[in-house]
Amino acid sequence: MGGCGKMSTIGGTTLLLMLVVSVETVCADNTTAAADADFERTVAPILTRRCLGCHNTAEAVGELDLSCADRAMAGGANGPVIVPGDPDASYLIERIAAGEMPPENNGKKQPLPEAEVQMLRDWVRAGAPWPSARVLDRFERTTDVRAGRDWWSLQPIRRPAVPADSANFQSQNPIDSFISARLAEQGMTAAPPTDKRTLLRRVTCDLVGLQPTPEDVDAFLHDESPDAYEQFVDRLFASPHFGERWARHWMDVVRFAETNGYERDAEKPNAWKYRDWIVDAFNSDKPFDRFVMEQLAGDELPDRDESTVIATGFNRLGTWDDEPNDAQAYQYERLEDMVHATSTAFLGLTVKCARCHDHKFDPILQTDYFRMAAAYWPGPIYGGILGGPTQDQLGYDVLGWTDLTRDPGPIHLLQKGDLHRPGPEVPPGTLSCLPALHQEFAPPPADSKTTQRRLQMAQWIVDPRNPLTARVIVNRLWQHHLGEGLVRTPDNFGFNGQKPTHPELLDWLSSELVEGGWRLKRLHKRIVMSATYRQSSLHPLAAKYAEKDSANLFWWRANRRRLDAESLRDAILQTSGQLDLRQGGPSFYPPISAEALEGLSMKSGGYKQSPPEETRRRSIYMFTKRALIAPLMTAFDACDTTLPNGRRDVTTVAPQALALLNNEWVHAQSQHFARRVVAAASEPAGRVISAWRLALGRLPSDDERTMAVAFVDRQRQRSTSNDAESLAWASLCHVLLNTNEFIYLD
Amino acid sequence: MTTTNQFFPCGNIRREFIWQMGGGFAGLALASLLENEGFFTQPGHAKTLDAANPLAPRPTHFPSKVKSCIFLLMNGGPSQVDTFDPKPELEKYAGQPLPQDKQYINSGGRAVGFLTPAARKFKPGGQSGLPISDFFPHTRKHADKLAIIRSCFTDTHAHGSALVQMNTGKPIIGRPSLGSWTVYGLGSENQDLPGYVVMLDKRGGPIGGQPNWSSGFMPATYQGTLFRPVGNPILDLRGPEHLGREAQRQQLDLLAQLNEKHLAERPGGAELAARAASYELAFRMQAEAPQTVDLTRETAATLEAYGVNQEPTAEFGRNCLIARRLVERGVRFVQLYSGGGHLEDTWDAHESVVKNHGKHALETDQPIAALLADLEQRGLLESTIVVWGGEFGRMPFSEGAGKPGRNHNPYGFSMWMAGGGVKGGMACGATDAFGFAAVEKRTHVHDLHATILHLMGIDHTRLTYFHQGRDERLTDVYGNVLKEILA
Repeated sequence: MGGCGKMSTIGGTTLLLMLVVSVETVCADNTTAAADADFERTVAPILTRRCLGCHNTAEAVGELDLSCADRAMAGGANGPVIVPGDPDASYLIERIAAGEMPPENNGKKQPLPEAEVQMLRDWVRAGAPWPSARVLDRFERTTDVRAGRDWWSLQPIRRPAVPADSANFQSQNPIDSFISARLAEQGMTAAPPTDKRTLLRRVTCDLVGLQPTPEDVDAFLHDESPDAYEQFVDRLFASPHFGERWARHWMDVVRFAETNGYERDAEKPNAWKYRDWIVDAFNSDKPFDRFVMEQLAGDELPDRDESTVIATGFNRLGTWDDEPNDAQAYQYERLEDMVHATSTAFLGLTVKCARCHDHKFDPILQTDYFRMAAAYWPGPIYGGILGGPTQDQLGYDVLGWTDLTRDPGPIHLLQKGDLHRPGPEVPPGTLSCLPALHQEFAPPPADSKTTQRRLQMAQWIVDPRNPLTARVIVNRLWQHHLGEGLVRTPDNFGFNGQKPTHPELLDWLSSELVEGGWRLKRLHKRIVMSATYRQSSLHPLAAKYAEKDSANLFWWRANRRRLDAESLRDAILQTSGQLDLRQGGPSFYPPISAEALEGLSMKSGGYKQSPPEETRRRSIYMFTKRALIAPLMTAFDACDTTLPNGRRDVTTVAPQALALLNNEWVHAQSQHFARRVVAAASEPAGRVISAWRLALGRLPSDDERTMAVAFVDRQRQRSTSNDAESLAWASLCHVLLNTNEFIYLD
Repeated sequence: MTTTNQFFPCGNIRREFIWQMGGGFAGLALASLLENEGFFTQPGHAKTLDAANPLAPRPTHFPSKVKSCIFLLMNGGPSQVDTFDPKPELEKYAGQPLPQDKQYINSGGRAVGFLTPAARKFKPGGQSGLPISDFFPHTRKHADKLAIIRSCFTDTHAHGSALVQMNTGKPIIGRPSLGSWTVYGLGSENQDLPGYVVMLDKRGGPIGGQPNWSSGFMPATYQGTLFRPVGNPILDLRGPEHLGREAQRQQLDLLAQLNEKHLAERPGGAELAARAASYELAFRMQAEAPQTVDLTRETAATLEAYGVNQEPTAEFGRNCLIARRLVERGVRFVQLYSGGGHLEDTWDAHESVVKNHGKHALETDQPIAALLADLEQRGLLESTIVVWGGEFGRMPFSEGAGKPGRNHNPYGFSMWMAGGGVKGGMACGATDAFGFAAVEKRTHVHDLHATILHLMGIDHTRLTYFHQGRDERLTDVYGNVLKEILA
């Protein structure tokens, strides 16, 4: 092949350096300074934006490469395309002027604007001057069709100054200064603080995923001390349930499930140990950089122990076909899974899009994909019976990952992703989109059993100068507290993602994280202590503001949120008094109706429900079987487990209503709930009060009490059951579990 | 990003718009429900939201009479050389090994036997004289409706991944299934029933389970709904016995009052209104869904034609009849499985083609023929496409001397389509002389999918779903419409 910058033979130095060095020798000097400036201003942007997508050194469609003078003048498969001085004789101008180039996209022509055609014409007429050593690099700058290395998320984090507060707003918390400054620009103000009861429920659900008990509510409402809220928040941070709540969010990101999928859908033994490791990590406030290191390379750390090897279970969580059509080809599917999980979870980049070609929208080369894949190349990705290393290889009875050798064979780039078209060997290394940190990985020390590629990749990810890592995790925290991220596409910080609504705040929080030793709890607390977090979901000017900003991009109110599937199930169990808060250990198999089990090829023979006492535990301990996710969970948008997912859909559809109205388990919980209510008081009014307090954390209004008592009477009267009394109360309790007030957080 | 997609344009501008409408899909689903329940009265507002309604019927890319698809999935992999792809050479070379030049994966490491002729005789059917084997005498009567594609191939030889590929396009689990794409693209004509219905064989689900009807990275709104052919077809359609319809109505009335009061304190709570409305829709579904499986109004002749009241056709016959009732009611995509669980309970004829296919063909042939006739007679065949086939085919050779079974074959197999827009009475493509591998007009699963979408009025290259930075397609970057079979 050969090319302007020897891009096809990646050598031992950095990409950028190579470009400069080799170009000197390839491209001849034939221009003047003035022409250089003209080229840079007129021609370079057109070629970069309109032509280089196909006519680059790597792809050279039609054998034409327009990235440097030498190759451009050499032309394509049909000979020269530029005749200096003669636009009419230049094939390039002919095709462009005819609107044939750039080619149709999705059946639609995309001719160049006349002005651009004219610029190219003028340039050719002037002799097609091309500055010496100028290699056009389509990844260098962001255009309207793709991101370059100057893309916002790839720039260093610079701790911004906290905006000065205005005269009528005195902030206690820098977060609020950032938010209110933007609101002020818009002529908007934040909503008033929400009431104590709402705040208590909001923060309890956010931090521990549970409902405040009636006792919590009473105590908090009566506590007039100025730091009552902070004290309560500190108690939640100290609760072991904090880790459970935040582990669940992380489990979505790492595609957690406990079976492999496919024909046998075999269990991944000990996956639960990884789940417990996350819970512990969040509870003990493990620094996030260490959290990353252990998951990617816990087996390669100098202080490796059972716990760090469990953490490498991160690499084992993907689906795994134990009977692939072609084991050779399937290795590359496994690499994609691991590259995708790693780059999504920690970097917010879609590196997998560069498996078969350079990324279409972000400055990620196909070579970058393989550099990253090389970190997993020495692992057990071929054949095998476990989809990973054995206990002997790991040294512990856990689900973990390690290299099988310190000296693996080379990994080759696959042209167009085709196994049968190997390209150049790719040395392991970091992504080139962060040039300042770009490096190849060193060979392992003599005494290492592994390649230490994952270790070096992890070190690069947590390098404080890597701007993505802190931004991505900070954004995830913000999203789960506030309902949406500052970047609303938490898994994609690239061109096709959303840009941050508050870039300065994102960077301020990111700096705080890194400077605070990567401790997350400190940051969580900053957020939940902010006035922005504590404001009401109702704003007196909501109707007016919604016209301007219906998506609440400026945070002028709190977002109302529906409980996620796990929180909903936990809340039902908590209300019914059935919730078992035992932590950790193997997962339980929830009851699944025979009808739903028909979807399994083994039917009910393929599923063994746990004993009832096990199935009352929190939803995070529910076994996740890929061939059959519990219907109640998927109905409420529990996400698919095959791909990393940082943001669940929230749909509102009738089958959810059917599930809460008719599901046998929901009815059973309603009856348990009713038993508590009936035991609480002998008079109907007292029972109604108890029901409202347990389900909604408040007293019923007079109206509600009257309606409820009348309802129970009607239900009792029309029943012929011996058990009419308790069934009538169960019916009322069931209605409460279905209310919007129960399922939505203000 | 200069082109716009008429379904869900994925340019940045469009995406910004959706986000600003209130949080991606949450906003869309919401708008749908509110629209149905008439919450938006301002015409301008409703019009904007209508375009984003995830289950409302949506326009096709180009005109098509086809509204529904019935996919008859012959789980386990029927043998092409014994059913729709006659190979006289197998008679001639019977007992000899497959020529050495043919490379293949011997799935499951089973014994490799000898070239074996068709288990049953082929006879011409209809005016077209399309040859179909004696396994399907009833279907053969409809030969003039069928376009048999004899040159299908897929990427994998194992049931689990091949089923997932037939359903989602790729042998890797986690992608939306064909049914999900059609419902996403076209919505559904009946809001009281699921738009995408899957009916399994009583013997069990397909290997791999749920990922076969998953919506993958799309919202769960688009996943297939398992539908049972008797009683309450959908999960959680009925509450406990002690709570009758009247008692439940009282519950819903109380619930509505409580929700109204809650909403009144939260002006503008569109998501709250939508959720309240979803309970009324659920209440209607409770009434509507059981009617679709209530066959008491079907005539004796119809029941007889489908073989509903006799073995061994009762189960599949009932399912086929319900499939007709579903498409009649505007359900977009119906998938029926013949064969469930493992091995001989499916079309996986390792032991004996005669026995295995004999059993499964007997169960399905008459019902399928009845379905084609019934659809035609009711004028529904124009607006429905029927697709028949398995996840792969079978080898032209046996599993050893005196062992009349055949192993899996991803290299060549037959499928057929019938109905709206399909040219009948024709065979398209061909396998080699032994029926081992597709050689003429090779048709990958992506091509089948592209063709099915095309028949339904969808350009497979333009039906995209934006996910993690990429406009995803059912056919990825592949797929060619099989123009030969278009009427």
